[in-house]
Amino acid sequence: MIKIVKRDQPSRAIFFFTPVLAIFLTLVAGGLIFFILGFKPFEALKFFFIVPIADKYGFSELLLKATPLCLIAIGLSFCFKSNNWNIGAEGQLTFGAIVSGGVALLFYEQEGFYILPIVILAGAIGGMLYASIPAILKTYFNTNEILVSLMLVYVSKLILDYLVVGPWSNPEGFNFPETRQFSDSAKLPLLFEGLRIHAGIFLALAAVVISWFVFYKTYLGFQMKVSGFSLKTARYAGYKGKKMIILVFLISGACAGLAGVGEITGPIGQLHREISPDYGFTAIIVAFLGRLHPVGIIFASLVVAITYLGAETAQIFMQIPKYTGQVFQGMILFFLLASDYLLFFKIKFIGSKK
Amino acid sequence: MNTNLKISNVTKIYPGCVANDNVSLEFNSGKIYALLGENGAGKSTLVKILSGVIIPDEGKIYLNENNLKLNSPLDAKKNDIGMVFQHFNLFETLSVFENLIIDSDEQRESLREKIDTIMKKYNFSIDLDIPVLNLSAGQKQKVEIIRCLIRSPKVLIMDEPTSVLTEQETSELFLSLKKFSEEGILIIYITHKLKEVMQLCDEVAVMRKGKLVSVSEIKNENIESLANKMVGQNLKTIKKKKAKTSSDQLIKITNLNFTSEDPFETNLMDINFSVNRGECLGIAGISGNGQSELFQVLSGEIISEKNSIEFNNNYIGDLSPQERREYLMAFSPEDRLEQAAIPQMKIFENVALNNFKSSNFFNNGLINENKIKEHSKKIISDFNVNTDNIELKSQFLSGGNLQKLIIGRELITSPDLLICFNPTWGLDVGAINYIHETLIKINEQNKSIILISTDTDELLKLSDKISVIHKGKLSKIMNAEEVTSEKLGILMGGAN
Repeated sequence: MIKIVKRDQPSRAIFFFTPVLAIFLTLVAGGLIFFILGFKPFEALKFFFIVPIADKYGFSELLLKATPLCLIAIGLSFCFKSNNWNIGAEGQLTFGAIVSGGVALLFYEQEGFYILPIVILAGAIGGMLYASIPAILKTYFNTNEILVSLMLVYVSKLILDYLVVGPWSNPEGFNFPETRQFSDSAKLPLLFEGLRIHAGIFLALAAVVISWFVFYKTYLGFQMKVSGFSLKTARYAGYKGKKMIILVFLISGACAGLAGVGEITGPIGQLHREISPDYGFTAIIVAFLGRLHPVGIIFASLVVAITYLGAETAQIFMQIPKYTGQVFQGMILFFLLASDYLLFFKIKFIGSKK
Repeated sequence: MNTNLKISNVTKIYPGCVANDNVSLEFNSGKIYALLGENGAGKSTLVKILSGVIIPDEGKIYLNENNLKLNSPLDAKKNDIGMVFQHFNLFETLSVFENLIIDSDEQRESLREKIDTIMKKYNFSIDLDIPVLNLSAGQKQKVEIIRCLIRSPKVLIMDEPTSVLTEQETSELFLSLKKFSEEGILIIYITHKLKEVMQLCDEVAVMRKGKLVSVSEIKNENIESLANKMVGQNLKTIKKKKAKTSSDQLIKITNLNFTSEDPFETNLMDINFSVNRGECLGIAGISGNGQSELFQVLSGEIISEKNSIEFNNNYIGDLSPQERREYLMAFSPEDRLEQAAIPQMKIFENVALNNFKSSNFFNNGLINENKIKEHSKKIISDFNVNTDNIELKSQFLSGGNLQKLIIGRELITSPDLLICFNPTWGLDVGAINYIHETLIKINEQNKSIILISTDTDELLKLSDKISVIHKGKLSKIMNAEEVTSEKLGILMGGAN
């Protein structure tokens, strides 16, 4: 007989075990889906998860995709840990890219070491500005940040659309919806000849270290944590709860903005219509799969990045639509939420006795 | 006609706790039964089973020898079991009449007649056509009772009915209950207040940790014997020694006002009082009369005019809670789980919530975890918190232990003034005793207390001076020995 018993206190081991379990279940379910579609499950999973990263180029692509996911998820972890449901990172990424792209275009055909830092900073500020909208509306007008941040995503995409087909479009570009190429000084340097991986990865790693330090070691992090659990407690302890809310939104916006910078100043080097394959939304899954912990987020971003690559490989070799990638992302989140049940309950197998 | 209600071997198990462990009880009409027990003793589970809200794992319920299948509250109503819950289930914006007819399928006119008859019979006077939100707590309770009476119940269950009532409303309620009982309605009265049991009931069943401990007639019991059964150990009674009268003024509140933008909060009007060193000022009142707002104004969660609060010769009305702590004030809010502590955080993290400069919990913006842990261990041993693991999340502490931790956290700085709001709310008798002893000790060390409480007995036990708050206004301050609970009751109801 199986009996479900409530746990007294979720153990640390189970806390990190459930994401692994979720990934395993995703693979099983994925294999099943491939089987139903008429593919050999193991072969399909191999195309999906192993072939894409089997060579140097593939591994570089993996890091390239994981970088924005990691950056955004780190920022989101500040929001989520303090119960602020910013789900508009995609919009903050887009707006960050717009601002930094605009600045990069100002330096068109100019060179100088000072250009790149300014471009990067502009992206962070753009993301912060955009994230401040839901934050201020939430703290001073009691609006729901989920709705506001989500709707602003579509606004930012329309602004980008307007800019790249309208005022910022490349005059020599035959009406393609894209801007001019940024000058080399406004681009993040590539790390290896022939690979697309660029210096943006250092931004992500820096974000990991800083966020770990701030959240676990500083008074500021402590106040954010308390404010997140209960604004009433924060007020009682004498913290400025509203400022904390705005601060976590700004941090999260800055990270998303930086991810936007990485997308346009990396290998592509210009603004165009589709700067992000929904990294801002996928990063929500990454943040939770990584248990909102900086180290966990690194691993989670790598795992989820594979689904992007695998979907492309599977499309090429097996003629499966690349949207399968989203199916896998959805399944990871689904199984993660389901296996979180084990955090609070344990399953006991009891011998059949009367 | 006689009614006989039998609970037979009822067991209900929740994950991690046995709420009812093989409970069997028998009730007969003509008597008022008390079901007595501390919080968590299982009495609420038992009455929820009787009213169909919870389905038991095992056991049967018989009404006049018929085995009842109570799968929903509707089943209980159909079987003539009426229940008045501690928290009212009324639609505030609907009229009294609409609330009464909402779950009935009888004709409006005939119902109105029926309700009028009931009201006349029991001397209830409530305007049926005003919205419920204009009623007092006592009147709302009457509406709930009438709603049960419409169905002419055989059994009426009252769950902690006096927690929101004034003394006067309580005695009115008791009169009505006695009258119902004489008319043959079987009454089961759930409470943890011993005095009420002695006043009202004929028989008492005591529950402890899910088990039925004893069933006895009231005439064979007294308050001490019941308390001991309820707690399961012999309790010493504590008494406060009369404080030395000191004229050394510690805090003075002058013309303090607070107007809230929130319509559900109470405005404070022209509050004036002062507390001397070594003194305990009790502030009585029915909950929702401005106590929470007063606490927040005193703690600095709500900022007021600088000159309205004078503490130790400093004007501090415009300071934040953290700044006030530096002047040696300490605060213990009412809501343990949502304000005073964060259940999801560890014990030592909760200790760090009381951050004062000399604690060195945070140096240059960094967390000094060793310091916090060291400090937490001291609190745990000094204040008898029953755990040795400061890494435990505080949600795993019992209410009593959590309150000890909170009071300990506030007192470890040896503050000159402790402001506490319902410090023993929802605690078991053992923990209440400990907190009371601690508060008395503070006064003996010439430190002061402002005790805002809705528990009149507690106030009379601990206070040197007492005032009553009603609709945001304070009554004049009285010496505690001149005050009786009846007098407090009258003031709490708003009379002069």
